[in-house]
Amino acid sequence: MECPTQLSESTTQTLKHTSSSNVQSTPEIEKKYVHRVYDAIAPHFSATRFAKWPKVASFLSSLNSGSLVLDAGCGNGKYLGLVPSCYFIGCDISAPLINICADGGHEVVVADAVNLPYRSCFGDAAISIAVLHHLSTEERRKRAVCELVRAVKKGGLVLITVWAKEQEDKSLLNKWTPLSEKYVEEWIGPISSCVRSPVSLRLQRIPEMEENALGDSPKDSKVISGSKLQETPSPSCEEGSNLEMESESGAIGQNQKEYFVPWHLPYHRAEVSGAPATALANGLARKDDKKGAVVYNRYYHVFSEGELERLMSDLSNAVIVDQFYDKSNWCIVLQKTL
Amino acid sequence: MRLLTHNMQACNIKGVTNGFPFRVEAEEVMEKQVDFNADFLRNLFPKIEWKALVEASRAMGYHELPDEADSSLLDSDDFLQKFHRALPQLHLEEGAFVCPETGRKFPTALIKCI
Repeated sequence: MECPTQLSESTTQTLKHTSSSNVQSTPEIEKKYVHRVYDAIAPHFSATRFAKWPKVASFLSSLNSGSLVLDAGCGNGKYLGLVPSCYFIGCDISAPLINICADGGHEVVVADAVNLPYRSCFGDAAISIAVLHHLSTEERRKRAVCELVRAVKKGGLVLITVWAKEQEDKSLLNKWTPLSEKYVEEWIGPISSCVRSPVSLRLQRIPEMEENALGDSPKDSKVISGSKLQETPSPSCEEGSNLEMESESGAIGQNQKEYFVPWHLPYHRAEVSGAPATALANGLARKDDKKGAVVYNRYYHVFSEGELERLMSDLSNAVIVDQFYDKSNWCIVLQKTL
Repeated sequence: MRLLTHNMQACNIKGVTNGFPFRVEAEEVMEKQVDFNADFLRNLFPKIEWKALVEASRAMGYHELPDEADSSLLDSDDFLQKFHRALPQLHLEEGAFVCPETGRKFPTALIKCI
């Protein structure tokens, strides 16, 4: 069953320019503030990831019976096997999370979203739920989208969701730490197409996402599993992280999209995993005695309205069939055309 | 890991042009009972790269699958039963995937990064 995977000329140019080795090598910021963090918090993270987002559930339920579905960035595997008539395979960059999936009997491998270890055109559908916002360059995010499209057959569907810059529920929310341009350049390297954002000394009050990104809050989600929901953390202020803020006269970080979002790993959980001692020593995490937790920072690039759509602009072999905003996430559904 | 999953996976190491299919080196194979579902198998059949499935199943000690298959066989219960045993039931518990181009080994026991 052959299926051409054509890239538009501009995408090919982009990939050539960046060179596939560059776009596939993981920037330091992702290694430290995505990969290592999820590895450290995996069991706790998994324990808080049980509510199924209705939009994802309905997407999966709408697929034909017998569909082969790829969940790229499957985390603790909460969507794997959600629809019994479909066959799911999953992958995630985090080995501890994949182990949790495997313990649940799922077909999973450790893999990178920008370089999926599958042949082309095999899937009926693919999902990427809250994954792309952990990729630190536009090229890598585009590459991940290309990979998802590559994985599905002609006519196959891809659902992508990412955290929105425009947050819905501001009340609980606390802090994301905005990352300065200088910080981003240090950790990510030169960004060719990133929007240069003016940065202000004033930290804008940005609603936090923490555990609530996917409708896990009691009032919003329909919990399919029926388990007790995680208590949301108190919105008390914490210390800022070790950033250098550059000043710009009069500018507010309106285009600010790079953030650290804290994850609180309770001490009793941290002791079990053992990783925190190293993390604390390396400065990747800090202790919050008041909350009794080790605090990790997760890197996010949040998406502004229209940004997800623009990310698809180079795709010549897929079209957008749906896009929407739901529970502080931008979402898009693609269909592969060639 | 099931043969169905193996049938989808390809080696994506930099520079590899054709990393499909992985050669299977089986050390421990298990068969886990799954309810037989003819419709499910019929739906899956067109997605399968048959030759890869046959080679992998033989590497795992199962020799019942025909060298070639087309959709007309889907009417045969005998074929479907064999297909059922191979596809969702056989599990590679321990062993390795070997990249067909580079020969690099990926131990399945560790759910190794491919």
